[in-house]
Amino acid sequence: MNHFWLIVCMALVTFVPRALPAAFIEQMRFNRTMERFLSYLPYTAMAALIFPAVFYVDPNRLEIGMIGALVALVLAWRKMSVIVVVMAAVFSNVLLYLW
Amino acid sequence: MRKEHFFAGVKAALPVIVGYVPVAFAYAILAGEAGLSLRDNVLMSVMVFAGASQIMATGMVIQGASAVAIVAATFLLNLRHFIMSTYVMHHLKETPVGLRLLAAFGVTDESFALFSVAKAEYRSVWYLYGMVMVTYLSWVGGTIVGALTSAIMPTVLSNAMGIALYAMFIGLLVPNIGRESRVALLVLATGLINVLLMQMMASSWAMIAATLLGAALGLVIIDDEPKEGLE
Repeated sequence: MNHFWLIVCMALVTFVPRALPAAFIEQMRFNRTMERFLSYLPYTAMAALIFPAVFYVDPNRLEIGMIGALVALVLAWRKMSVIVVVMAAVFSNVLLYLW
Repeated sequence: MRKEHFFAGVKAALPVIVGYVPVAFAYAILAGEAGLSLRDNVLMSVMVFAGASQIMATGMVIQGASAVAIVAATFLLNLRHFIMSTYVMHHLKETPVGLRLLAAFGVTDESFALFSVAKAEYRSVWYLYGMVMVTYLSWVGGTIVGALTSAIMPTVLSNAMGIALYAMFIGLLVPNIGRESRVALLVLATGLINVLLMQMMASSWAMIAATLLGAALGLVIIDDEPKEGLE
């Protein structure tokens, strides 16, 4: 299989899971419990995306991810805008690499 | 109304650029090393639009993995978007199905996360389109520049930008947790569940299972009224 068809197949298997809910959401009935379940998904999905991967942004230097996450945490806690949080975390890591 | 939502989405998605561009560069350079032509290199970003899986797939091409194995691994790694798309589409039930399907192409970790923290009145397909325009263009644009120039980005900067998307998730999540200690507990517990599950299964499965188990745990430990997303 050449690269082109590999890419087409990858595109298909990536799009189908994204598209199925778009096509069939009206057929899906959600009771109160399901509604609550759905409402927790952003918290839990983001939690699973962050932990533990954030500690391994640089697998050779775990402090890079830890300090970046800490900077983001403190600024987010102080309700800074997301772009400020992102820039500050990146900047803290630039400093760590230049140290 | 449409315009207003669209541009609000554009604005909300701007932080994603910082995260996507260095990853797109990294992907494009790896794809070049894997022997993909310039066309195929860019085409993968245009058609697949899922960063982690593209990097994994090109890595597997370099290792000489079979096409079936690569496609299967891609499916598994991107299966989490089914859950995220279900969440997003649940808020777009009034939107015509054609517009929803177009939007579904743009459901990524980042657009899902941004959508979920958006003010309830902004949670429309046009807001999603605005966000996806920014995320898609920065992904495809980053790939093109990376593939053409082999991206001479200073190593320090590209390494440091690896934290960007995690910082964004933290920046979205923390203000929404606020003083709700039960929700903070849920987030920490889900992270812990993910760490434990990763010892037992592939990390793609672990992430899906942790997300679902976490939400189920939320039913038990959080007993307030159902809320519209994170707001």
